[in-house]
Amino acid sequence: MKRRVRSQNLGGARAILLHRPHPTVQALERQLAAIGLAVEQCWPDLPASAIAADFIFFDADHGHDSQFPWEPGNPPMPMIALIGSEAPGRIEWALNAGADAQLLKPVGDGGAFSALLTARAAFEARQALAAEVAALRQRLDQRQTVVRAVAMLMGLGKTEDEAYAQLRAMAMAWRISFEGAAERVVAAQRGPDTQVRGGRDD
Amino acid sequence: MKRRINIGLLYSRSGSYSLIADACRMGVLTAVAEVNGDQALDLTFVLTERDPGGNIDLYGPMCEEILHDGGARHVFGCVTSWSRKEVIPVLERAGGTLWYNQPYEGFEASDHVVYSHACPNQHLLPLLGWTFGRFGRRGYLTGSNYIWGWEMNRLARELIADAGGETLGERYLPIGSTEVDRMIDEIRATRPDFILNNLIGASQYRFLNAYAELGRQDKHFSPDRCPILSCNLTECELHAVGPVAEGLVAAGPYFRDAPGPAGVGRFGSSHEAAGYAAVWRLARLLAGRPGAENAPLSELLASTAAAETGIDPKTHHTVLPVLIAQAEGGSFRVVKDCGSVAGDPYLTRGRELALPAPRLRVVP
Repeated sequence: MKRRVRSQNLGGARAILLHRPHPTVQALERQLAAIGLAVEQCWPDLPASAIAADFIFFDADHGHDSQFPWEPGNPPMPMIALIGSEAPGRIEWALNAGADAQLLKPVGDGGAFSALLTARAAFEARQALAAEVAALRQRLDQRQTVVRAVAMLMGLGKTEDEAYAQLRAMAMAWRISFEGAAERVVAAQRGPDTQVRGGRDD
Repeated sequence: MKRRINIGLLYSRSGSYSLIADACRMGVLTAVAEVNGDQALDLTFVLTERDPGGNIDLYGPMCEEILHDGGARHVFGCVTSWSRKEVIPVLERAGGTLWYNQPYEGFEASDHVVYSHACPNQHLLPLLGWTFGRFGRRGYLTGSNYIWGWEMNRLARELIADAGGETLGERYLPIGSTEVDRMIDEIRATRPDFILNNLIGASQYRFLNAYAELGRQDKHFSPDRCPILSCNLTECELHAVGPVAEGLVAAGPYFRDAPGPAGVGRFGSSHEAAGYAAVWRLARLLAGRPGAENAPLSELLASTAAAETGIDPKTHHTVLPVLIAQAEGGSFRVVKDCGSVAGDPYLTRGRELALPAPRLRVVP
């Protein structure tokens, strides 16, 4: 896949540096300010406003899971690990915490811009994949519903192929997924008052 | 008693882009002579010079020589972005500063560089905005095969797409190559509204010649219908290009024959003006502050004197006039003055092109 990384939209973004005061923090603050980000340093606790930050840089050397007020490994924004000691355990922890990119300490004159773009691209790819997986999972869960709907339509005297074809035609007419159509068929059969109705998206 | 302060000069006096290097160097030397002769200042500059001769691999080592053997902290030099990126690690290790006096492609704000010439919001954005309104939004992009051409064309491609235009082609030549036939053939075939020229040196001279020849064969390829745009061609190369530059449209902070604060004819080109301004900025940062010559740039820019120099302490870029000019009879005539604009290397303040208002049409 060829990715087009656009450099825009960083101006005005908010970054939080979860790291104790340190020359590395200063160097990073300088780089981020030059790129146009608003920067806030904090340690050891993230402020409540962190949830709305656009990027989080976190110390991989002294960080721990309880610093992050979300499900471990599933941050709602791109995260960048600041790695000093390249100990395997610490790298593993940083990855599990959800690092999308990394920056080696000591931070000097460069590295922040590529880390920002890399982290954002990785985060977006991860989000897109997660959404796709969730959709596929939901379709898997609906397999039983499809089987039921086909069985019902067969109960009205159709062959299996005809039942499938009819369900597909319904899905197309209603402009919803095959699984969605199956759900409506099953629901209509179950509830005495509900009827199979089309014309509206789920 | 004047303090003697060592400074470095790192320009290639031969090779593909030596005309630009000479222009910058001239500006630096003029300002150094003025500073040294100014009795009101408590300092004189002593030069250590190295000439990489256009060899990219010599910039790093030679910069190191200037900083270590020459005892300098401030170096004026580099023409290509490639060479600038070669010396930055050296500067970082030694705590030195490069005063870079070239238009460049942006997306950099090193703690060890002062950017005295224009970046894209001071050249490419206004130039494309002007061109879109006048000629159209279908462009053909050319460049020499290194970071200046790649990044300028990447940004141009995005700006063209954002404006609803079309990039009809994008082609590169190795630095020094004169094999422009394929570019010309593609331009002939795609008939764009404008050509963005990021070629440098001999490639650019050959290309301008070939395009002028194409214009003689087909009237579409004349400056009034499909101009060549440039963000780095100045008077210092105009005589080398000759009459085939006629009609080329350039953006820059200074043109020799344009009235402005610097005065008509004060400098040969914007390269020279930028080199000159850079030396004076350093002199103002150091004057009256013994020991400041050993301070890192970040400390100098935190001083009160820094505000007068116009260097943004965050980005190390400067406020510059933005002029668009057209080559006419061997010089540039300004066609649009966009006022003074602060350098915004990461385009943090947006990338609007100041396009003319769209013409509304009544649709029956």
